[in-house]
Amino acid sequence: MTLSRRHFVQTVGIGAGAALTSQIWGRGRENAIWSAIEPDLQAVERGVICIASNENPVGPGQRVLDSLRTLLEGGKKPGRYSGQMGDLTDAIAGHFKVKTENVLLSEGSTEVLRAATQVFTAKTKPLVGTIPTYEECAGYAELIGNKVVGVKLNSEFKIDLDMMLNAAKGAGLVFYCNPNNPTATYVGARATRDFLTKLIAASPDTTVLVDEAYFDYVTDPDHETHVPFAIEHPQVIVARTFSKAYGMAGLRQGYAIAHPETIKKLRMWTASGGTGSLNLFGMSAATVAIQQDASFTTNERNRNKQVRDFVTKWFKDRGMKPTDGQANFMFVDIGTPAKEFREACRAKGVLVARDFPPFEKTHARITLGTMAEMQKAVQVFGEVLGKKTSTAAA
Amino acid sequence: MSVSRRGFLQGLRVGNASQASQWLAARGHEEFVAELMQQGRQPGRGVNRPNLPPGVEAIRISSNENPLGPGKAAIDAILGKFPEANRYPFNSTPLDADLEILIAKLNNGKRENVVLGVGSQEILKNAARVFLSPTKHLVIPSPTYGDPAGFAEHMLKVPLKTAPVDAKTLRTDLSALVPLVKGAGLVYLCNPNNPTATINSAKEISDFAAEVRKASPTTAILIDEAYCDYVTDSSFQTAIPLALATPNVIVARTFSKAYGMAGVRIGYAIGHVESIRKMARWRMPYNVNTFGVAAAVASLKDPAHIKEESARNKGVRDFTVKALADLGYPSTDSQTNFIFTDIGKTMTAAAFRDACAKEGVLVGRDFPPLEKQWARISLGTMEEMQKATEVFRKVLRPSTTTAGKAQ
Repeated sequence: MTLSRRHFVQTVGIGAGAALTSQIWGRGRENAIWSAIEPDLQAVERGVICIASNENPVGPGQRVLDSLRTLLEGGKKPGRYSGQMGDLTDAIAGHFKVKTENVLLSEGSTEVLRAATQVFTAKTKPLVGTIPTYEECAGYAELIGNKVVGVKLNSEFKIDLDMMLNAAKGAGLVFYCNPNNPTATYVGARATRDFLTKLIAASPDTTVLVDEAYFDYVTDPDHETHVPFAIEHPQVIVARTFSKAYGMAGLRQGYAIAHPETIKKLRMWTASGGTGSLNLFGMSAATVAIQQDASFTTNERNRNKQVRDFVTKWFKDRGMKPTDGQANFMFVDIGTPAKEFREACRAKGVLVARDFPPFEKTHARITLGTMAEMQKAVQVFGEVLGKKTSTAAA
Repeated sequence: MSVSRRGFLQGLRVGNASQASQWLAARGHEEFVAELMQQGRQPGRGVNRPNLPPGVEAIRISSNENPLGPGKAAIDAILGKFPEANRYPFNSTPLDADLEILIAKLNNGKRENVVLGVGSQEILKNAARVFLSPTKHLVIPSPTYGDPAGFAEHMLKVPLKTAPVDAKTLRTDLSALVPLVKGAGLVYLCNPNNPTATINSAKEISDFAAEVRKASPTTAILIDEAYCDYVTDSSFQTAIPLALATPNVIVARTFSKAYGMAGVRIGYAIGHVESIRKMARWRMPYNVNTFGVAAAVASLKDPAHIKEESARNKGVRDFTVKALADLGYPSTDSQTNFIFTDIGKTMTAAAFRDACAKEGVLVGRDFPPLEKQWARISLGTMEEMQKATEVFRKVLRPSTTTAGKAQ
C-alpha cells in the first residue's frame, strides 16, 4: 500500500540515546483509502456492517442535524462564513472555559497534527510516538523529510512512559495519542500529567501533542482532559475532533487547544490560519454540538460502554484477549492474522479494520457499532474464528 | 438583501432555497481568507473596512463568489446525506473516490488523473510542496492570485520570479515568463487571471508549455482554472487535455466559483498520472467532507445550471462594463465573474473602495502593483450591480464631468 507502510520495519528497542532510526511506524489513516492511487473502492453496501473506521454509529444527534436542516431548508438566515469561524471558536472556548486565543480550528484534527509536526520537528529534532499509533504525524514527518522514532508499548499495550520519556529527550514533537489508536488503551490522568511535567523539566524544547480524539469514550475513573495543563504550558497541545463521540466524521471538523504562543505558531500552517479549509457544515454543526449539555457525551459514552462490555465479554468468554479498551473500538488478540480475519468477515458482510503492524499477525482492531450491529458481528466473528457462538452473551 | 434577491430570481429559486444557496456560496470567502493570511503574517494588520451606516446591508462585490450559490440539485443532495454525517468520506455514498471518478470521466481521464483538495487552496499548496524549494523558484505573472506565491515565499522560503502582465491589455504575458523558467520548480498561471479577468488562448497556453518544456524540462506548470466556467471567448479552452497528456502540467479547479459552493471547500487537480501521484502524496487523508462530495457530484450532473449561471453572469458583466465605460472608465476584457477597471485618472483602488463602502458597496482589495490605478469589482446579481453602478457614478463623478459625459 503506501510507501511508508512498505518501509515499516520498526526498530527501537529503546533506551536513552539508542541509535534511533528514521523508520516510520506506518502511515495508517483510517482505512487507508489514500486517493488516486489506491484502486480498491469500498463503498459500504446496504446491510454491510462497517466497524472499520472508529466512527460513532449513531451520528451527531437530532439537535445538530435539525440545526443544519433548518439552514439548508431556509428556516433560518444563515450566518456568513467569516462569522461562522468566530462562532465556533467562541463555542469551543466557552466549553473549556479558555480564551479564544487558546483555540485553533482545524480540518478534522489532521491539520493540527500536520501543523504541529511541521512546526516542531526538524532534521535534528525527530518526531517520537508509540508503535503503533495513529500515523498522521509520522506520515507527514516522512513527507517533510524529518525523522521518526517509534517507542514500543508496554506489555498491556499502553504507552510505556519511561521509555517514552527517554526517547523524547531532545525530540521536536511527541505524539501522545490517549486513548491510543489502534490499541484502545488509556494512560491515566495522573500518570500523564506526571509524564508531561517530567518531560518539560528534562527537555524544555520538546513539544507534546496530546491527541484526545477518543477522550469522550474513556470510563477509567482516573481520566481528565489535559486542556488546563496545555493552556498553562506552551510545550503541550491538545488535539480534539468532532469525528468520534460527536459523530461527525464526514463533516471534517477538529481543533487544537494550547497556549496562545503555541497556537500562533501552529496557525500559519493550518489553512484555517490563512486559506480557508473549513467547510460550513462542519463549522455550524460543531458549534451546535459542543454547546449541547454534557448529557450528549455522557449518553454516547454510556451507550458505547454497554456495547464495549458486551463485545469484551464475548471475546473473553472464548479465550481471546482484548486490551483494556477505553475507546469506541477494541484491539483484540485473535491469534490469527488480521488479514485473514478481515477477509473472512468481509465475505460475511462485516468490515473490520486494516492491519496494524507490528501486531498484524495476531491482533485485529474492531470498531464498536451499535449493539444490534455487534450482536450480528460477533456471530460472524464466531463463525470466522471457529468459536461457538453462544446466544447467552447478550 | 434576500427580499430583493428573490425578486431577481423570478421564481427560478424561491425564497428559502435561495437563502441556503447563498449560505453555501459563502460570499466574501476569498477576501476573508486573504485578510486572515495578512493578519497571520503581520499580526494586527487586518484589512481596514469602514463601517457601514446603521441598517444598511452591504452589497458585497469584493470576493468573486457566485452570488446565487448552487442549484437545488446540490442542496437536495446534501439533505440526502444527513444519515451519513458520521461516516468518513471513504465509507459514505457517494465515496470521495466516486467524485474523482466522475470528474475523470467528464474529462476523458481516469481516476488516477484526479486528486481532490479542500477547495483548490489545498491543491495550490500541495503543488508548492511538491515542486518548489528554496533552490527551485516559482514563476508567476504580476499580478495574479496571491495565495500560491504567498505560501511559497513565506512558508517555504521559495524565491519568486515575476514578469508584469501586458501593459496595455493586462493579459498575462507568457513570452515574458519564458526567460524566467530555467531551473524553476513551478510556473503558476491563473487562466482566466485573477485579478485582471483576462485570458490566454488555448494555443498560447500549449505553445507556452512546449517552450517551458524545452527551456527547463523539469519545471512544472500549474494552471488554475477557477474561473473557466465564466469564459465566453471562444479562443479559450481548458488545459485539461494538455495536462492529461503532459507530465508536469496540472490543472486546478474549484467548486467555489461558478458552482457556487465556496463554503463547501472542494477543489481538485487533474493531470498526468505522474504529476497527480506526486500531489496525492501530500493530500490530507479524508480531506473533503461527505456533504460536499454529494453536492459536487449532483452539481456535475447538472451542467445546465452552470450554463445558466455563465449566461446570467455575462449579462451582468456586459451591463457593468458598459456602465463604467460610459463614465469614462475602461475595463479589461473580462472573461470572469469580476471586472478589473482603470479608475486611475480619478482615484486609487483604496480611495474608491472607501468611497464605495460609505455607500454600502464593498469592492475588492488592493492588487499591487496595480493598486494605484485599477480596481477589482466582483459581479453580483443584476439588481445589485444596478445599485452598485449608481454608487460608482456618484463616487467617480468628477471624471465624468471632465470627460463631458455626465448623464
